[in-house]
Amino acid sequence: MSLTAPRYSGLLVVLLMVLQWAGQGIPSPVRPICDLRVLDHFIMEARDTETALRGCKAGCGVTGTFVVPLTNVDFLVWETKDIWEQAVEVQSGLSLLGQALGAVGESLSNAVMQSLITNNKSNIRSLGQVLHSLHIKGVSIHAAPAGGGTATRKVSSLSELLSVHINFLRGKVRLLLKNAPVCQQSSP
Amino acid sequence: EKKMTNDHLKKLLVYCMLCCTQKIIVQGAQTFQTKVALLRHVEPNNPKCFAEGIRDLTCFWEEDEERAGSAKQYSFIYTYQNENSSECNVTALPAAGGRILYFCRLSQTQLFVPLDIQVFRDGLLIHNRRLHIELFFLLDPPVNLTVKRTEKQGQLKASWMPPPLKYLDDSMMYEVSYVIAGTQMGQVEEVRASSEVILLGLQPGAKYSVRIRVKLDGVSYNGYWSAWTDPVLMATLPGDLDPLIVSLTLIISLILTLLSLTVLLSHRRFLLNKIWPVIPNPESKFQGLFTVYGGDFEEWLGYSAGGLCLRPAYFYSEELPAPLEVLSEVSLDLPSSPLPPKAKQAPGEDEKLKRIDSLMERWRETPHEHWLMDQLRVLHQLPGPQCSQLESQDAYVTLNAQNHSGEEPLDDILEETLPLQALFASGRTCSESHSDLGSLQQSSGSGRLSTQSSFEYPNHTWPPKGPGYTYMAVADSGVSMDYSPMSSSRIDYMGKGVIYTNEYRNEIPAHRQPIPFAF
Repeated sequence: MSLTAPRYSGLLVVLLMVLQWAGQGIPSPVRPICDLRVLDHFIMEARDTETALRGCKAGCGVTGTFVVPLTNVDFLVWETKDIWEQAVEVQSGLSLLGQALGAVGESLSNAVMQSLITNNKSNIRSLGQVLHSLHIKGVSIHAAPAGGGTATRKVSSLSELLSVHINFLRGKVRLLLKNAPVCQQSSP
Repeated sequence: EKKMTNDHLKKLLVYCMLCCTQKIIVQGAQTFQTKVALLRHVEPNNPKCFAEGIRDLTCFWEEDEERAGSAKQYSFIYTYQNENSSECNVTALPAAGGRILYFCRLSQTQLFVPLDIQVFRDGLLIHNRRLHIELFFLLDPPVNLTVKRTEKQGQLKASWMPPPLKYLDDSMMYEVSYVIAGTQMGQVEEVRASSEVILLGLQPGAKYSVRIRVKLDGVSYNGYWSAWTDPVLMATLPGDLDPLIVSLTLIISLILTLLSLTVLLSHRRFLLNKIWPVIPNPESKFQGLFTVYGGDFEEWLGYSAGGLCLRPAYFYSEELPAPLEVLSEVSLDLPSSPLPPKAKQAPGEDEKLKRIDSLMERWRETPHEHWLMDQLRVLHQLPGPQCSQLESQDAYVTLNAQNHSGEEPLDDILEETLPLQALFASGRTCSESHSDLGSLQQSSGSGRLSTQSSFEYPNHTWPPKGPGYTYMAVADSGVSMDYSPMSSSRIDYMGKGVIYTNEYRNEIPAHRQPIPFAF
């Protein structure tokens, strides 16, 4: 994949923001984003952040407790949920992660890590837009209440937070995007 | 009857199910053994775990038979993050090399969450490991591998069916290995998120062995490379001839052809003689036989004229000539001294001598190239011993050398081109006679004469001022007449005279008729 993450994600965000601003309140026929390469790119950036954290002493000075979504996927259970439940769970989880990454970024002293965390937070917002483009009933562009509709747990370190971030993206988010009805219809 | 039929059907159904199950079990066991063998080499940690699908996980470890215990001695405890621990039943199997294989298989798993695994033997922790199941996939090889030719040269198209795993199909990557059958020359090509590939850059007209294996791409899912599929053989299209090679081949062929033609042409005569040898033609050995006599050998030999006599072939006789002395005195005073013994004339030959004298007279009067032949012809008409075709007679022909001053050397005789007439007209007289005969080429104005003459100049038998005598040795071998010298060419100075001996070849002009002559 030859995409440059910051440029691509920034372009996507700008596009979505413009569309949102231009057609606020007006249902805009946003084209569904079914290409999973975007998600894969976000996953790779999250891994890069986790790798960079290993070089940071004492967790880069991050302290506190963060509420994060559960990432485990039991396919037998997952498949019993309908698409709306899955979408709400994913949207809620993304919201929690976004809040947690935002809180981490404020307390980071390392500039590199701060930049990476900021990028990850931006990616989560982009994923919210992608989720909105799937036109799943009941899922709006507005962020779902944090923790609402999904099981959560608490973490006390940045490494755990980033691990949850990666697993959530690789698991539930990907499964939802891959199996979204609108994407199933467009694929051959 | 219906009940019996139903019972039979049930039994048959159960039997089929058992057979199928047994087949599946056996196949599964083989697959399990294959995967165990694969992981044994690539995974250093214990227990070695792999997931074959999105819902299972198999972990195993091995121990030496000496230290190994029963399966009940082992406990396999697994714990998902933020959940309670669970235990898996351990099963033992015999392994290669006298080892025991212990394994545990989970039929329901959770992905995208850390899993802690602990193995205890008799309460003692022997193995401990944390892993994410979605990162330890070991899939079955792809199935239905098909290799086909494309319309282009040097290409093959390979297609296959990916493992039937939901949610994972777009995360698979494949490795295609293609080698020339029977060799190790080949390449490996990686394919992502696709179930077909076109192999490029292949050798035209070569047979390739293609096989494939699968692995997850490592983004959301990961794992180990699967086992290779069974190889599929397919030959590429034969290549077109390279224009450069074709042109070079034509040029080289043309050069070789030209060289061969040159050699053949330069040795064509030799080759023709070898392939089609020329029929030997004896014409060169019998001059005039075909050109003059039309192939009539008898005529050529002179049979039709009553004898061999004067034939050109006689002059070429290779047989040793017999000396023939013919004495002829032309307007000469008979010497007072007796003639050499050979020169003695038989009483019966007086007429002959007279005839010769007259011939000499005519010779002086009619100098032409046929004079000698005419004279010889005349002599042939005289009675006397005729030449015989069968007998070789020695004979001498003595020609008169007139007006020869005894003191003068016989210089003129050295001129081989001078006709006899001139020589005779010079009036030379020989000084001495010699047993050796010389020859003088008789040549008239045409330069040719059909005789080969030798001359002997008697010395004291002739008057000093009289004309000299010349002798011509005529050899009659019975087949041909040969006028040849009695000795090799030499010049002797004998007192006042000089004897010259010359050899010359006879040549018979084509237009001349054979001259019958006999001695």
